[in-house]
Amino acid sequence: MALLKVKFDQMKRVKLAQGLWLMNWLSVLAGIVIFSLGLFLKIELRKRSEVMNNSESHFVPNSLIGMGVLSCVFNSLAGKICYDALDPAKYAKWKPWLKPYLAVCVLFNIALLLVTLCCFLMRGSLESTLAHGLKNGMKYYRDTDTPGRCFMKKTIDMLQIEFKCCGNNGFRDWFEIQWISNRYLDFSSKEVKDRIKSNVDGRYLVDGVPFSCCNPSSPRPCIQYQLTNNSAHYSYDHQTEELNLWVNGCRVALLNYYSSLMNSMGAVALLVWLFEVTITIGLRYLHTALESVSNPEDPECESEGWLLEKSVSETWKAFLESLKKLGKSNQVEAEGADAGQAPEAG
Amino acid sequence: MAPVLPLVLPLQPRVRLAQGLWLLSWLLALAGGLALLYSGHLLAQLWLLRTFLAPSCPFAALPQVALAAGLGALGTGLVGAGASRASLDAAQYPPWRKVLGPLLVLGTAGGGGLLILALGLALALPGSLDAGLEDGLGTALAHYKDTEVPGHCHAKRLLDELQLRHHCCGRHGYKDWFGIHRIQSNVEGLYLIDGVPFSCCNPHSPRPCLQSRLSEPHAHPLFDPRQPNLNLWAQGCHGVLLQHLQDLASVLGGGLAVTFLLQILVLLGLRYLQTALEGVEGVIDAEGDTQGYLFPSGLKDMLKTAWRQGGVAHRPAPEEAPPEEAPPKEGLPEA
Repeated sequence: MALLKVKFDQMKRVKLAQGLWLMNWLSVLAGIVIFSLGLFLKIELRKRSEVMNNSESHFVPNSLIGMGVLSCVFNSLAGKICYDALDPAKYAKWKPWLKPYLAVCVLFNIALLLVTLCCFLMRGSLESTLAHGLKNGMKYYRDTDTPGRCFMKKTIDMLQIEFKCCGNNGFRDWFEIQWISNRYLDFSSKEVKDRIKSNVDGRYLVDGVPFSCCNPSSPRPCIQYQLTNNSAHYSYDHQTEELNLWVNGCRVALLNYYSSLMNSMGAVALLVWLFEVTITIGLRYLHTALESVSNPEDPECESEGWLLEKSVSETWKAFLESLKKLGKSNQVEAEGADAGQAPEAG
Repeated sequence: MAPVLPLVLPLQPRVRLAQGLWLLSWLLALAGGLALLYSGHLLAQLWLLRTFLAPSCPFAALPQVALAAGLGALGTGLVGAGASRASLDAAQYPPWRKVLGPLLVLGTAGGGGLLILALGLALALPGSLDAGLEDGLGTALAHYKDTEVPGHCHAKRLLDELQLRHHCCGRHGYKDWFGIHRIQSNVEGLYLIDGVPFSCCNPHSPRPCLQSRLSEPHAHPLFDPRQPNLNLWAQGCHGVLLQHLQDLASVLGGGLAVTFLLQILVLLGLRYLQTALEGVEGVIDAEGDTQGYLFPSGLKDMLKTAWRQGGVAHRPAPEEAPPEEAPPKEGLPEA
């Protein structure tokens, strides 16, 4: 009672082997594509690791890279096997290895599916990493003379310009931190002294934002300072003004960017997984068809191919039995060894 | 009637010629394809910068002609590959015999002509970019404030995006912004200010951007003149854009030159192959020596033959047409 039996004659076997050979080499290309996608994602994450506190998880790109390499290796091996399958002499040397190889292929397919799922699920961890990283980034914005943090200003400015965003959740985040360094504040000025005195921690907080928050689509020159003071600017109402600065927060902008990147990578990986499953099934059919050739001297004879020799439940029971036997044989051997030692001791 | 530049071609050199020609043809097709793609890229760049190039600037003609030339080279390469492949196979060659002559003429006149024109434009046109950019940028700067005027309302956004992307400020420097009436005030009418837009700001500066009152020495008391001025972008957009477009044009010119060289080689090779195979009446595997040549006779003789032929066509055809006046095998338009 084999599962999904298919009859194969010589012609069909040859066609199956040739088709599988082609599919395996296409799958090697697909593996290269997955590898480069993983590499690209890794580089993109590295580029912005400064705003992610250098603590972002590289699990997804690393696993994509690994899966790509493994796919190339397995599929080129399978291609070689399919090529040799047409020649009985060459095939004989592959015969003992095919069953374990198919088991490894099944495990590889399961791993690929898990990696694909991870691509879609990484958004959550990225969100918290970005929130912390951006908060720190903005805190160190003014430390352009502190070694180790002197590039944070440039990084945040370029980030806001490129991703068209301002602050962590919005531009008001800039009101809560001192982003103008004390080096560039004129402490002899009354205005500066008043502002610092009026703040509990002695920080110079302004209702202003850096220039990189400015939106070029605004019809008026960018208003960066005194954003909450309507009378400081002609015909300005900060409640309704939308075009002056970027409205999005950088956390949302970066999250959307990385999510769309990983979603498209996940979609590609899913397609490759389906392709790999098809190849594994085809290889299994080829394996069983060649095994069940009843008369090895007559290559023209018909044979049958199947997925599993018995039905699913019987195969599962047989698998459990073999596991138990393995355990029992260990026990028997141990008892035998003890019994053997006891009469010797005695 | 001595043939021009004859070359003796026995069987083996003929086969070698055909194989080499096949390789060269694919290289030509590749070069043509790359020239096509690159001129498309240049066209896209010009379309993005169309606000900053005066409409009278003829530079846009270069990528258009290069596009056509690239197509021609691609076509010639494909034809050459097909013909040289067919010349090795006796069954495939006969249909090529008829079309090869006119195709060679088309390739030489059309493809070669277009390539020469494109090369000429690549050498001559970048000079006109200077004036075109000067006009275009000047207009854009003058219309920066006209965000309510239909037709110029995008100047501000485009100029800001240009300065942000190309890291430049003003036409030749930030002081260009001082001379522009940048802000329109309902109360006082137009007035000048010595400030620059936010897009001139350089993110590499260690201090928050100083945009206004740049010509007042005491407006920013902690400004250290000894430090290199990183506050604004130092380059003018004119220089940056000129360099950018000239670089693109020179790469395109180099590519076109390589394509032209390959095209000449392929056309010459095809001509020799064609005439050599005509010598053996189109039988591919004939072992004997044949002669390949460029032209069947010198230029004067060819013109005489063409003139006589034209005369014969107008007179009623006499039955006893002398065999010497029979038209040469390759037909008329070989000049």
